[in-house]
Amino acid sequence: MNDETKKQINERYERELDKGERFWPDTIFKDVVMSLGIFLLLILLATFVGVPAEPKADPSDTSYIPRPEWYFLFLFKFLALYGQLPVIGKIEWLATVLIPGIAVAVLTLIPFIEKSPHRHYSKRVLPIAIMTIMVVGIVLLTLMSEIPTVSEDGSALLGMLQTISGIFIPLAAYILLFAFKNNTRLMLWTTGLAAASMILVSGTVLTLAPEKEAEETSVATTLPDQIVAGQDLYSIHCTECHGDDGSVAVIEGVEGLEGEKITPINSRDVLYTITDSAMNEVIAYGRPNAGMPPFGKTYGGELTKSEIDYIIIFMRYLWDDRFEAPVIKPLFPPLADGEVPSYDVHIQPIVKRYCISCHRAGKDNNNYLMTTYEEILTTGDQAANNVIAGDEKSYLLQTIQGQSIMNPEKPDEELIGVMPPTKALKPDVVDVFVRWVMNGMPQTAAEAAALFATPAPTPTP
Amino acid sequence: MWKNIYLWLDERIGFNDFYKNLLDRPEPKTSWWNTLGSASMFLFVLQGLTGIFLTVYYTPSPDHAYDSVNYIMEGVAFGWLIRGIHHWGATLMVILVFVHMLRVFYTASFKYPRELTWLIGIGLFLTTLGMGFTGYLLPWNQKAFWATTVGTQIAGTAPYIGEFILKALRGGPDLSALTLQRFFSAHIWIIPAILAALIGVHLFLIIKHGESHWPKKED
Ligand code: HEC
Ligand code: HEC
Ligand code: HEM
Repeated sequence: MNDETKKQINERYERELDKGERFWPDTIFKDVVMSLGIFLLLILLATFVGVPAEPKADPSDTSYIPRPEWYFLFLFKFLALYGQLPVIGKIEWLATVLIPGIAVAVLTLIPFIEKSPHRHYSKRVLPIAIMTIMVVGIVLLTLMSEIPTVSEDGSALLGMLQTISGIFIPLAAYILLFAFKNNTRLMLWTTGLAAASMILVSGTVLTLAPEKEAEETSVATTLPDQIVAGQDLYSIHCTECHGDDGSVAVIEGVEGLEGEKITPINSRDVLYTITDSAMNEVIAYGRPNAGMPPFGKTYGGELTKSEIDYIIIFMRYLWDDRFEAPVIKPLFPPLADGEVPSYDVHIQPIVKRYCISCHRAGKDNNNYLMTTYEEILTTGDQAANNVIAGDEKSYLLQTIQGQSIMNPEKPDEELIGVMPPTKALKPDVVDVFVRWVMNGMPQTAAEAAALFATPAPTPTP
Repeated sequence: MWKNIYLWLDERIGFNDFYKNLLDRPEPKTSWWNTLGSASMFLFVLQGLTGIFLTVYYTPSPDHAYDSVNYIMEGVAFGWLIRGIHHWGATLMVILVFVHMLRVFYTASFKYPRELTWLIGIGLFLTTLGMGFTGYLLPWNQKAFWATTVGTQIAGTAPYIGEFILKALRGGPDLSALTLQRFFSAHIWIIPAILAALIGVHLFLIIKHGESHWPKKED
């Protein structure tokens, strides 16, 4: 750029200043309004959307699908699509380092690449076209970031469409743009068509993609929630050997450990001598020599770091007399006269606490699984008799009330023992099961409410 | 009395110079698009203030980071609001800085005499992303841990120096307490210091050259 052009530019700017405004108060005013607006928006977001709770980091949980922050998602998607390309797709660093590196370098050097002194958009169609396609591509890649490149049925169609809209169309458009460098009209058409077809193909991908069900990760953040979560986990994984209150001193009914003498884990001996981090180790690693299996994912168990923490919190607050438990919600809301319990509100938490420890896959339970509503109604060797709407002879109701079921063919052989085998349920819990089965096993609270026996209206005279 | 204090201070500081040089400047007609830069700066300041508050309770160790963040959300009065603003502010800042950059590009405001402003701006853009990247790990939850794992892995694919970058970022072959310590220090000291310095130069250049005018047909 020669001095003459520079002078022209500066003079041109002076003329604009003469027609312009004052920084204070004109320009500042807009800035302040904008900043205040943003501040308000942030307060609204913080209040009404908040920050979603997440489980604690667990390096051993390799099943977790890693995802970067949202503003790097486009790069992540680009890498995945690039990996699909034949031959060069295998050279990873091309896409992870070289291409982003070149992009940043070009972005940095823009003032030295686009050297013409002209500023009006009609005189800089090529740079604007390149940037526009880039921005459209980035936005679309971000939107498509959740969609797999290979669908569950093994079809690569979605992946191909994504590669077309994310890599091939922009690439073709760039080649065409440079070919039409001197023809504004053709450059505009190329940009418009490229952007439109990218949006179209991505839109197809987004509509074709299978609906992703939001995976529910329940994260307990308050102390009472953590204690309850811990108690549920404890009930599922530990009661078998340690009993529902940790008081078992001699293990009964566990294969291989029958009659094994252990220290009750609700005793001061255990709670006072084992610190939280040592407790973490005990649960994660187990006591292989004594017969306690490992529970931490690191050692092949099922529990994440957060879950082990919850169990320890539960043990501390309910058993350790140095801790004072906060008020904890009852396991299920107490029932009024005539009220019908539902699966969602009453049965699910009860089953989780008292039955799932045995009634889940991989345990000895006559194939009776109780982890979902459907399973409770349809599984088990005696599926036909376990839960029958309105029948108090349902096996489930009999066994939880201390009646074991005899084999109809061989009357002196026990088919099903009392449930739960070790410790009878409290009467209010039994009452919930009875009312639930007698009223036809409603699933949701709304269905149950519809069955609520409303008192007959008194006839008005 | 206030008047006397003002006069005494004015004599020594010279408010008028400030007024003349900083505030009473001519500008071309500006549009709402010109507020994006100052809005980014506002967010930088806001992130700084809320961030300082967060460090009062936050503990950068794998054993305590998660619980300390949880405590901020549940135990500290208005902790949820402060963290909420910081969390959403980070997202919004990346968007604003990006859109500000696009606006500067589309209006060709990076041309003579503002090339250096653009170069500094690229530095600002990259450091802003760096703030996001390092801050994301701090809550030490699953999302954070695995996002950083893949993020550093990608950096580690560079030929020849990849291994070195990976180890330098993580402080070892794996994510550990060292990584968290490192990211924390980068997030609250190193990168903000760079960012603040770059913003200073950026603003100096903007005041020196004035904001560019909206390009017209004749430009
Ligand atoms: C298969 C049976 C079994 C299960 C299930 C089980 N444990 Fe154990 N646990 C044991 C045995 C056996 C010991 C050894 C007791 C001893 O040495 O006194 C033990 C010991 C312990 C100890 C005390 C260790 C010590 O050094 O005294 C704790 C605490 C403990 N278990 C917690 C748990 C928790 C929490 C769970 C559920 C996640 C669990 N256990 C599940 C069998 C089991
Ligand atoms: C300690 C483990 C354990 C717990 C806890 C437990 N069960 Fe069972 N359950 C079994 C076993 C084992 C069987 C297989 C029959 C038998 O051996 O008695 C069984 C069988 C049953 C059956 C018959 C299934 C069929 O189709 O043959 C029903 C119904 C049942 N349990 C209900 C319950 C309910 C309801 C609870 C919770 C309140 C519960 N159980 C808790 C171990 C358990
Ligand atoms: C933390 C990030 C940033 C802050 C706080 C910031 C701040 C500002 C402010 C306050 C202005 C003047 C008002 C305006 O025109 O909007 C401005 C202008 C400018 N910014 Fe930034 N900016 C940032 C990032 C960037 C980036 C990423 C770029 C480009 C790569 C950039 C390039 C420019 C240029 C060239 C100008 C002059 C524009 C003109 O005179 O019209 N800035 N910036």
